[in-house]
Amino acid sequence: MLYRVIDAQELPALVRAFMESYEVVAPVKRGSGYVFRAVDDPADIALSYTMTDSSVKKYLLPPDEPLMRFDARTNLVEDFHEEVTPRVLFGLHACDINAINRLDLVFRDGAYPDPYYCARREATLVVGISCMPGDHCFCQLWGSDEVQFGYDLFFQDIGGKYLVSISSVTAANILESACNPREATDEDRIEFRHATRRRQAAFNPDIPRIEDVSMLMDAFHKDPFWDELGGRCLSCTACSAVCPTCYCFDITDELDPDGAHGVRKRVWDSCTNPSFATVAGGHNFRPTGRERVRHRMYHKLNGFMATHDRMLCVGCGRCVDACKANINPIEVLKFFEKKGLEDVE
Amino acid sequence: MNATLIASECEARTQPRVVVAGLASCFGCQLQITNAEAHLLEVLGQIDLRYWQLVSSEPLPDEYDVAVIEGAVTTDEAVRTVRELRAKAKAVIAIGACAVTGGVPGMAAAGFDDRVAGTFAGAVPSACGTMRAPKPVSDYIDVDFTVRCCPIDSYDFIRVLQSALYGSNHIEADRTMCGDCKRRENECFYKQGTLCLGLVTRAACGARCVNLGRPCNGCAGLSPDANLEAARATCTAAGVDPNRFDEALQMFNQAALIAAADAARKEAE
Ligand code: SF4
Ligand code: SF4
Ligand code: SF4
Ligand code: SF4
Ligand code: SF4
Repeated sequence: MLYRVIDAQELPALVRAFMESYEVVAPVKRGSGYVFRAVDDPADIALSYTMTDSSVKKYLLPPDEPLMRFDARTNLVEDFHEEVTPRVLFGLHACDINAINRLDLVFRDGAYPDPYYCARREATLVVGISCMPGDHCFCQLWGSDEVQFGYDLFFQDIGGKYLVSISSVTAANILESACNPREATDEDRIEFRHATRRRQAAFNPDIPRIEDVSMLMDAFHKDPFWDELGGRCLSCTACSAVCPTCYCFDITDELDPDGAHGVRKRVWDSCTNPSFATVAGGHNFRPTGRERVRHRMYHKLNGFMATHDRMLCVGCGRCVDACKANINPIEVLKFFEKKGLEDVE
Repeated sequence: MNATLIASECEARTQPRVVVAGLASCFGCQLQITNAEAHLLEVLGQIDLRYWQLVSSEPLPDEYDVAVIEGAVTTDEAVRTVRELRAKAKAVIAIGACAVTGGVPGMAAAGFDDRVAGTFAGAVPSACGTMRAPKPVSDYIDVDFTVRCCPIDSYDFIRVLQSALYGSNHIEADRTMCGDCKRRENECFYKQGTLCLGLVTRAACGARCVNLGRPCNGCAGLSPDANLEAARATCTAAGVDPNRFDEALQMFNQAALIAAADAARKEAE
């Protein structure tokens, strides 16, 4: 890893340099929150955002994605070329880059790499930026408040300047051409440590810090808590839609109006969708909110850990905001905290 | 091409015979079919359209494969019609909120008999037929496919018709709307304390109204997994009176709510 320092005023020049060969997607203000959008003016970027309503997942795994076209009369696959837009995902927080790293594990690094995902990932540069936590952030609990890989550049705000971690040649060259990166001094490194400590101290203290969450998930698998939590689920799938790591999908075929040709599409799905676990013959092995919500929390806080040695939740807090029934990992942590206190009594 | 050739081509044609029937409705959904415009002829080319109420004053033919039904059932005559359609068709498609949930006509369901008596004082005009409380088509016959919303989406109709003709791996959504709304990254109306029925409404339209900046009115109908109690709690938390939520649901879901209340009453007894 290479470290350099640039002045904060140099950032717009870097964005413009990216724009010459990439679509630049960055956080912009929208209503009472923020969203990731393609921008054409660096001035539109709201770099001091706390959290965007939805993540950048859609740029790697679109919600509605054509996989191939077919001729319905001959049952043959037709030529289909997907357009992949070279893109810079600019201004991602550590949690979101950690989330992309989890998607990489699923779609790129497994036994059967997904060609659609890989093509997009390949054509994407990731530029991260340091942040201060909002009220719903709990990334530090899973260690995803810092990110070691998965980005091209990462900007740490050190007061009017950025300490830049550089991890790709492509991005390094663009940085070099657009800005005047200089060696980091001891002073810069000290300021970096201060900034890190300020961030660590700023997390919402009301979100309980629980050890061994994965183990506790197994221990309380049958607790009535899940009836209560799942019983209030609206079955809306908003949680998975905004979550940067939820990756489940469905595949459907759609005919053109002429009935002669069609397209096979991949669309986002979610385990909180009532029919998600309905199998051939019509049996649904997760028939109520209790099973569905419990499953979602299990995959987040236990199941993915078993296969990939890390949580599938990065603590970004989006579902805390999006779920109108107040169902989210923080509620699970509060439950464990309560159980712990009861044990002490 | 000479005349004999055309005739023999027609004979060889074995396209599915389709009828489009209308009950109590505004014809808006039948009109939406025509709004497929450029694709309308492509669709008509795949079927043998035997009857289309919108453009015909003839009676229904005797034989057909697919029956498309618009409108709510509001008379004894309509009950007979839907039973006949079911008996003769291999597949029945209900289109539009009126047919699927009772829709706008369904708003008249509560206290129907008393109101009829009050309005007509026992002398119901014969043109009204033998009236009964408005109900969805599925209350009387099995419905194989549904095209939801008020009005239907032209392309949604084509997709469902094709499912009936050729089969499909598309499963009707039973989740509620908010997830689809989040996929489109709309800001939630509840953040501004505005009522929106997406909380309990089937995700059948891709959150179309919210995408256009209006709260959901529930025309796609309640999801079978609608959690009314949790939705009321959501309203309360957002400063929206839950009674307003209940009232708004009456517009497209009165028939289902009455049926649910009746079932609950029976269970209690
Ligand atoms: S589960 Fe919630 S907090 Fe965790 S990554 Fe997903 S949206 Fe973020
Ligand atoms: S939590 Fe549910 S929707 Fe998300 S990845 Fe896991 S199984 Fe899929
Ligand atoms: S957990 Fe919340 S966001 Fe997810 S489906 Fe249930 S109500 Fe919707
Ligand atoms: S569903 Fe709406 S548009 Fe369709 S017939 Fe009924 S009232 Fe008219
Ligand atoms: S309540 Fe309405 S506005 Fe809010 S997320 Fe659901 S559909 Fe969208």
